[in-house]
Amino acid sequence: MFGHLKAGEKAKIINISHVGHLVKRRLLDLGITEGTEVCVKCVMPFGGPIMIESCGQCVGIRRKEADCIEVERL
Amino acid sequence: MEVALIGNPNTGKTSLFNNLTGSYEYVGNWSGVTVEKKVGLFKNNIGKLIDLPGVYTLNPLSKDEGVVTSFFLNEKFDRLLNILDASQLERNLHLTLQLLEYGKPALIGLNMVDVAASRGINIDIDKFSHLVGVKVVPVVARSGKGCDQLVNVISDEKETLERKILVYYGKDVEDTILLTAGELEGKTNHSPRWLALQWFEGNKYVEEYLRTIINPQKMEALLNDVTEKVKVKEGGKSLPHFIYLKRKMVIENILTESVSKKKAGTPLTEKIDSLVTNRYLGMPIFLALMYVMFMLTFDWLGTPLADLLDKLLTGPVTNAIEKSLSVVGASPFIHDLIIQGLVAGVGGVLVFVPQIFILFFFISLLEDSGYMARVALVMDRIMESVGLNGKAFIPMMIGFGCNVPGIMAARTIETPRERLLTILLTPLMSCSARLPVYALFVGAFFQGQKALVVLSLYVLGIVVALILAKVFSSTILKSETSLFVIELPPYRLPQFQALRRSTWDKGKGFVRKAGTFIFAGSVFIWVLSYAGPGGLKVDMDHSFLAAIGGVLAPLLAPLGFGTWQAGASLLTGFLAKESIISTMNIIYFVPKGENLQGLLSNYYTPLAAYSFMVFILLYIPCLATTATIYKETSSKKWTAFSILYALAIAYLLAGIVYQGGKMFGLV
Ligand SMILES: Nc1nc2c(ncn2[C@@H]2O[C@H](COP(=O)(O)OP(=O)(O)OP(=O)(O)O)[C@@H](O)[C@H]2O)c(=O)[nH]1
Ligand SMILES: [Mg+2]
Repeated sequence: MFGHLKAGEKAKIINISHVGHLVKRRLLDLGITEGTEVCVKCVMPFGGPIMIESCGQCVGIRRKEADCIEVERL
Repeated sequence: MEVALIGNPNTGKTSLFNNLTGSYEYVGNWSGVTVEKKVGLFKNNIGKLIDLPGVYTLNPLSKDEGVVTSFFLNEKFDRLLNILDASQLERNLHLTLQLLEYGKPALIGLNMVDVAASRGINIDIDKFSHLVGVKVVPVVARSGKGCDQLVNVISDEKETLERKILVYYGKDVEDTILLTAGELEGKTNHSPRWLALQWFEGNKYVEEYLRTIINPQKMEALLNDVTEKVKVKEGGKSLPHFIYLKRKMVIENILTESVSKKKAGTPLTEKIDSLVTNRYLGMPIFLALMYVMFMLTFDWLGTPLADLLDKLLTGPVTNAIEKSLSVVGASPFIHDLIIQGLVAGVGGVLVFVPQIFILFFFISLLEDSGYMARVALVMDRIMESVGLNGKAFIPMMIGFGCNVPGIMAARTIETPRERLLTILLTPLMSCSARLPVYALFVGAFFQGQKALVVLSLYVLGIVVALILAKVFSSTILKSETSLFVIELPPYRLPQFQALRRSTWDKGKGFVRKAGTFIFAGSVFIWVLSYAGPGGLKVDMDHSFLAAIGGVLAPLLAPLGFGTWQAGASLLTGFLAKESIISTMNIIYFVPKGENLQGLLSNYYTPLAAYSFMVFILLYIPCLATTATIYKETSSKKWTAFSILYALAIAYLLAGIVYQGGKMFGLV
């Protein structure tokens, strides 16, 4: 689960199909999909969004969506 | 010749547009700065350049992206100028492939080569150009490097490279494309291949378009057939995803052959980010920055400058005007009109130019540095709890400058409900035109804590907006869907030149308004205050203006400012918020040697002054803002709602401040 990663940890996305349709589309637009390697940059407090990086591009997404993304720690 | 500029968000399209046309359109370091089509003329007159909002694909999610798709479907142009961010080629090329399928002559401007180089990315331009099949010109839009060559290539009419089909989508999809093309034969000017693929990908605009020319039942049959085939053969993949993967493969091939990468050090961006989006420091840093901004605007720097300008205007300038009036032998009527009407009205507004410019300078700094998107990220948790998302904070921040571009910026919010909510609430953000009122009143009543009092008003605006968002989203605008995915651009050191231009571009609107609208308004207001039922040159308390403002006075009495003067200023404030100040300068006409601030204490108590400022902050969107709300919502109902709820909430809060304050023994 993405949500369990701490800042600085790297992971590879293995399943993104449980995320809502719109969010999935936007992530795909940004080049984030199954097989993408991402690094968690920071985690906002009180269940706030997390900031992830992939290919030098930083993206912010909500924690509850991140929790629906299955990842494999690298 | 008409050339359309198109590319991913935040790749520097507008920077290039400004460079090539010599105009100044809105540039900022976040995704979704440009939200509508802009047209300019090339400096060397070879034709028109059209700037469009940034898009990731031609299949739109939000309104600004829809602008691009409609443009492609409904408007004529000759060439495409595709801008790519050289440091993000992989993502950018998905759009390029779709553009090439569109079939118009195209050219690639490879922007941000400086950023790519600093990240150790090396692109073999010739090879890349050969693989993609169009000419590629490297540029740095920010500094203008390479722009001349780009213009040369654009003006060169003939397209030399052979156009080839880059992506083969497999037999099933290709066959359906051919079938669709057969249906479209002779019915459209667009490339059938492009139309078919966009439709397969679920592009609603294209589907709508196709429905008007081919039989919907036939369309459905075709689409179902190919979807089913792909699903069976490709392990359950959806058709749009299958198309995406095919493109991705082609892109990966292009990149492995033409791009090489060296290791580069940690970019500065990440170091800054570890501070400003820090778990605990993020919010305090944001508030501290706001505080410094207000101290500079209202205290440290802004006030001394405004005082200086005031002395200049009321002293030497007024004297000079009076002298020349007596030289030309102006009649007393003209003399009074100019001195008591124009100089007081227009001058009273111009005095605040330094403060307005300082505020705009800070807003430009926020926009250009890349901090804006970070604020959206930091704010998302709070915004989510009231039924909005962090992105809605960007229109609100822009609204601090002027509500009109703020409301326009809401176009980038994907879900219609959140967008409407943002449009309705952005007018509560205290725009720069309200600033003179605060500056005047805090100067008169709150000498010691100027910046703090003003900050309290700005924060009040935000808090009221958040509370109302919660109320609206749990009553009239209910819905579950919310979408928050935000791109965080790398920080860019703002350039002095760019800052100066963007500050001036925002500020000149204020100066221009003072010279036109406020100028005319001052004459009008003065005449109303000069004439009355009893004839001309009446005592101001018996003028038409007093009669009009007097109607409102009893209503305003519970708020602490039940005078005809307040009523009249509030009425003119609907036209433009600056007119409040110009009207006040005319009606409290200040004798020489005194200033309005000193005079105000005869009419307001400090508590009433604060209540008045609260009322001004909230009471109504100005005329231009109302027009924009109507344009963006295209609904009379919501436009009327935005005015009415604002009036109600302003009345309520100002009442609470005044009556509550009195109860606690404040005056
Ligand atoms: N380093 C560098 N920065 C650039 C370059 N071109 C543009 N920028 C910066 O990139 C940011 C985005 O520029 P814009 O011109 O607003 O981008 P846009 O493509 O119009 O963005 P949208 O309208 O949001 O789609 C600004 O901060 C520019 O100063 C470049 O070649 N190099
Ligand atoms: Mg732009």
